[in-house]
Amino acid sequence: MASRTHGKEDIAIVAVAQTPSYRAFEETEPLLLLTLTNEILKATGLERNDVDFTIAGSCDYLSGLPFAFVSNVDGFGAWPPVYESHLEMDGAWALFEAYVRLQMGDIDTALVAGSGKSSPGRPREIFALQSNPYYLAPLGFDPISLAGMQANALIDSGKATEEDFARVVSRSRRDGLSNPYAQVAKDVSPEALLKEPYYAQPLRKHDLPPISDGASMLLLARGDRARELSDNPVWITGIDHRMESSHPGLRDLTESTSTRIAAEKLGLDGGAFDVAELMVTYSPEEIVLKNALGLTDSVRINPSGGPLCGHPVMATGLARVCEAARLIQRGEAGRALAHASSGGALQQNLLCTLQASAS
Amino acid sequence: MPKFETTHYTLEYPYQRTTGPVTGPFLTGLRDGKLLGIRSGSRVLCPPLEFDPDTFEELEPDFVEVGPFGTVGSWTWIAEPTRKHPFQEPFAFATIALDGADTPIVHAVKASSVDVMKRGMRVKAMYREERVGAITDVYFVPEAEAYEQKIAKGKGEVGISQHLISLDFEESFAPTRKRYLEGLARGVFIGQKSPATGKVYIPSKGYDPIERVPMSEADDVELPYTGTITSYTIITPVAYYGQKETEPYIRASVLLDGADTPLGQQDLRTISTDEIRAGMRVKAIFKPEAERDFEGIDNRWGGTGGVIDRWEPTGEPDVPFEVFSQHAY
Repeated sequence: MASRTHGKEDIAIVAVAQTPSYRAFEETEPLLLLTLTNEILKATGLERNDVDFTIAGSCDYLSGLPFAFVSNVDGFGAWPPVYESHLEMDGAWALFEAYVRLQMGDIDTALVAGSGKSSPGRPREIFALQSNPYYLAPLGFDPISLAGMQANALIDSGKATEEDFARVVSRSRRDGLSNPYAQVAKDVSPEALLKEPYYAQPLRKHDLPPISDGASMLLLARGDRARELSDNPVWITGIDHRMESSHPGLRDLTESTSTRIAAEKLGLDGGAFDVAELMVTYSPEEIVLKNALGLTDSVRINPSGGPLCGHPVMATGLARVCEAARLIQRGEAGRALAHASSGGALQQNLLCTLQASAS
Repeated sequence: MPKFETTHYTLEYPYQRTTGPVTGPFLTGLRDGKLLGIRSGSRVLCPPLEFDPDTFEELEPDFVEVGPFGTVGSWTWIAEPTRKHPFQEPFAFATIALDGADTPIVHAVKASSVDVMKRGMRVKAMYREERVGAITDVYFVPEAEAYEQKIAKGKGEVGISQHLISLDFEESFAPTRKRYLEGLARGVFIGQKSPATGKVYIPSKGYDPIERVPMSEADDVELPYTGTITSYTIITPVAYYGQKETEPYIRASVLLDGADTPLGQQDLRTISTDEIRAGMRVKAIFKPEAERDFEGIDNRWGGTGGVIDRWEPTGEPDVPFEVFSQHAY
């Protein structure tokens, strides 16, 4: 699966760790990361000094603390100093940067994290601020509203129905019952869901993700180092991300052009996966993504329950990679696709393909 | 004694952005009651952009008036508006293709009911009584609900877009921080001693960041009132948004005896700027219990709020720099 963004160095995930999605985690964000760092070091037998590079994705606006990301470095262990980087992006984009960094060939390991506490703030008001500062942010135009418009666009175009959205939610929430990290999970039928009132018509509250606190983390290693650190490393066979206009009026909301381009760059075959962990934060996004990726019905989508069962913003995308990698580690999947998105209505999309062997 | 259940805080940024050659005329147009699009090849873009969205070529400021009528594309009904939305009662967000424009604007439609909302419906731009040259000066209504307005033209060009961002946060105090606060309320300093390194942190974050060990109430230790100034700065306030200080003042770090981390951001204004120095020995004098104020102490910031009346020099000999050099900040 050669692609332009698949580098010459073989890179594998050798350990993954996640916190549960909490409605409100009572301790601070660094403590979320600290427990995961310890878990990954224990699983790999590494000392903290053995980690060559650390990189984290988080958002200072979420907790309302300028430079919150600096405190988060505590979560990796404050001493000795880390060689580190940070993105104001989901941890999945930290994974991309770490992957590129490892391609330089001078270091062997990278600890990648995403973390966030959405519980203290009002996410709907905060994320309105990522829209255009002249034309949209002053209107408080937020991702939930845009998701509602996307849903209506899908219905009007005949590409989906409200029943389709309810089926996505029903399946996801049921799958969440067997996921220890899930925050909301329930055995509920699509028919029962459709009886709920609208929240952002045609979306109902259950079409939205919960408000969550949490973190996810993984350790990447290069070539032979990966084989030393794990009996069953999960190899990254391709990774790419693309984005679309920040002006929603210029986008066809029923399509995900950026996902389609990323898939093309990776030479993706939508039938070649056992499982796809997609960052479906609003139920209609699953329909858009499935279509853009050309996923066939044989591909199991979001066996973890996905973000509809827990949405620790800034960790949600990286959690998709962790969930997919864990299935391969356990031998429950041979090839998996992980997807992350950023911005309203799938404005930006990242794809990462994983498998049990390096080629 | 105060309960310390939840902490509230507001984060504000008063953004002022220059509008530039394209957004400026558009916002000026809104203030004056008209909608402007920009020509991009054979197309008209509204809202206008500085670049062609497909070729990214810079566009000449060649404007054309569009609307005031338009056609709704996709929409959603906002049943429970946020405080930041343009209406506090239910309304719709929609893409609106204004007559004469080729790209839709995303904006609010104030409709009497969700039942009138549908793709293809006709809407008309309406203007607020008070207009400031912002996207919020305009909104849309179903054609049947529109009425005539007399719009007075404003003065000058809108060169700056003002947007006050104000976000509210509320959370429980983290357990460790709560015990620290309860200590201050009864007039004692509570730190934590790491079982892994023996280091004493105040205020503790609930873990030892050196060895990555979570700590619990069993690790709490009480610290004395005496300590050493390890570093300080004299701040001459500039008048930024939210600044309450007007005269130069001192902020210092004080390393309590037995602690490995200093208390930061200590107000030492009762010590003269001539007298203050690193190494000086001081003692905390707490305010009377009823007067202690905990503002500014939350899960994120440590400090001592308005709990300490003053730090008094003890008159003891100074502590040499070498003694506290590893604990200065």
